Amino acid sequence: MDYNKKNIRKRPDRPLPTNPTNATNPVYSCSSSSLMAAKESKIRDAGGMDELLADLGYEVRSSDMADVAQKLEQLEMVMGSAHQEDSGLLSLLSTESVHYNPSDLSSWLESMLSEINPPEFSSSTITTTATTLDFPNFPKSTQIGQIYDEPSSSNYDLSAIPGEIVYGERVKKKAKHEEEEEEEEEEHFVVPDSCSSSTNCSIVVVDSQETGVRLVHTLIACSQAIQQDNLAVAEALMSQIGPLAGSQSGAMKKVAIYFADALASRIYKLKTGTSTSTSTSSSTNHLSFSQIFHHNFYRSCPYLQFAHFTANQAILEAFQAKSKVHIIDFGIRQGTQWPQLIQALALREGGPPTIRLTGIARPDSGNPADSDPLREIGWKLAGFADNLRVGFEFQGVVVQSLADLDSEALRLREGESVAVNSVFELHELLASPGSVEKVLGLVREVRPTVVTVVEQEANHNGPVFADRFNEALHYYSTVFDSLESCGGGSDGQDLLMSEMYLGSQIYNVVACEGADRVERHETTAQWKTRFLSAGFAPVHLGSSGFKQVSGLVSLFGNGDGYRVEENNGCLTLGWYTRPLIATSAWQLTSNKKP
Amino acid sequence: MVKKQRGLSLFCINDNQDLLIEILTRLDDRTLAVASTVCKLWRELTRQDSFWEALCFRHVSPPRVRPVVAAMGGFRRLYRVCVGPALARLVRFDSVWTREELETQLQRLSLSLFSVYYYERLGARREDGRATASLMFLGEPVNVK
Repeated sequence: MDYNKKNIRKRPDRPLPTNPTNATNPVYSCSSSSLMAAKESKIRDAGGMDELLADLGYEVRSSDMADVAQKLEQLEMVMGSAHQEDSGLLSLLSTESVHYNPSDLSSWLESMLSEINPPEFSSSTITTTATTLDFPNFPKSTQIGQIYDEPSSSNYDLSAIPGEIVYGERVKKKAKHEEEEEEEEEEHFVVPDSCSSSTNCSIVVVDSQETGVRLVHTLIACSQAIQQDNLAVAEALMSQIGPLAGSQSGAMKKVAIYFADALASRIYKLKTGTSTSTSTSSSTNHLSFSQIFHHNFYRSCPYLQFAHFTANQAILEAFQAKSKVHIIDFGIRQGTQWPQLIQALALREGGPPTIRLTGIARPDSGNPADSDPLREIGWKLAGFADNLRVGFEFQGVVVQSLADLDSEALRLREGESVAVNSVFELHELLASPGSVEKVLGLVREVRPTVVTVVEQEANHNGPVFADRFNEALHYYSTVFDSLESCGGGSDGQDLLMSEMYLGSQIYNVVACEGADRVERHETTAQWKTRFLSAGFAPVHLGSSGFKQVSGLVSLFGNGDGYRVEENNGCLTLGWYTRPLIATSAWQLTSNKKP
Repeated sequence: MVKKQRGLSLFCINDNQDLLIEILTRLDDRTLAVASTVCKLWRELTRQDSFWEALCFRHVSPPRVRPVVAAMGGFRRLYRVCVGPALARLVRFDSVWTREELETQLQRLSLSLFSVYYYERLGARREDGRATASLMFLGEPVNVK
């Protein structure tokens, strides 16, 4: 999350010391000492003039204070920008413009500003709170960005004004004049006179950093209110979240919107008493959602690539010297994991084994236009393997839930080495009690050489809603951050789809309960306990695997923040310090059971 | 390089394809690509996979890789899609591993990704229009032609 740095707050009862005497000096405002002095004193209304400023030699009416503050702000920004660009403006101001009576601050400012700004520029003031933004007639494409760097910003203490000033947008290509083209790359903020004259350029100062923190706090407070069944408070907080979220940009904004949306749904459901387990309809919605977007998620960021690669590595090692292999994939999706494995097996020492792949899919999965998507995938994989001269067989199994599987459906054969693969499939089973134990029992029955499991590294299955919310907020913020840096290549649509995919997960974690809440992520440690108690022993994912996947992520991954780590034999991929997904491998503890 | 001897014999590189091939073998990827634009003969020659194979696998000589790569579209495509971009990154990439180690890994990784790429394109004809670019998460957008 990158927070913008400016921190200007305005409050109506503090004076504004400035130094307008010499126009060639940029008006970077106040000395901190005068500010400090100003802070201690009180304003007394003496003849309509502000007493404090009168002490300094300026005559400003208290009633005009707000106005003066605003204008000073504008002036300062203009001069600040002018100072950075060139001194043309300053020389203009110093040599050609006539300044009248600086002690009458109000009119002096008027004259200064009218020198600088074109006549059609009008700063309209809007009555809003300090964190709300309002863009009347503002071009939609612009975005509020950082204002500028102010070295003394910590001491800058402008009063809050009933009117807000919007200033400086990171102007995008669409709403630009030709002169500004070259400024665009530097992310230069825009001087008011280059606002398009048709728009009513209102200037708002945005303190993104503060609102960012506030946004997080409000979200968490809202979740806690829901936790305590205090829906009235929750709703009140919700109304604040909207504008706060709007003031952010980039990853933070998207995350906030998704979470706010999910919270709103949850509140609604709780209020109206709509049972959160409204039958299978919402769970199938989520399912088809995830099926569709899973594919795009694969392409736009390295998470799935990491998952497939590490799982395949483990399977490859387990299948050393085996001549007949059978892979059971708990979630075949588009089958993108398997070409790599087939190719690696084709190239291994001693030649490839004969491969059998059992792909398990859900109903309504994949492309609705295809009559039998599973067959399509099988065809593709078979064609691929055929090209590589690898013996290959595919069978597809369609089940509503993994718990419905039995060994009959898998059609096991003698003499085969079996690998079971599950990428983001197991956590769903936790929604119905007993399912995961049943499936693990089935896995045992199959007698696999290796079981590869990839899951999200997070605990989104705690019993307390507020804790879950907290966890999820941090987790998905990190994921969205990483997506942001990925950029999604040339096609922004993939990025958008990935975000929607994640958004649907967020919705599920926050707004659903009971059988509907299928995104029940758990940490590797929790899964470890389950596997150990089900009779499995961990397989250490070797250092060669670690090296290779690190190479993969650094060479092919987009974005510098990805980190591959090894943790007790499991490999995790994370963004900077936060691990996000983890791959682990398991084998049976004893081979004596028939 | 033209030598005139008694006005009759000229030396033209295109008449000595063995020599030409020897020279082309020593070129790097960019020069090779540029060379393919010289004339039809050069284009034909530089499109031969052997050159690109040498570029892909400089240190490691793989026994069984050739038919596999050929089946998936050839070394030239492998280079363009995977190895080339990765090598470009290798230049500005400093790590704890040696250059050779990294290059070995790179070849293995390239093959993996290439297989995904090829797999995705297998079904591309049947899908609606948009060719899938499975390697989109690579830094540079991959040209799917």
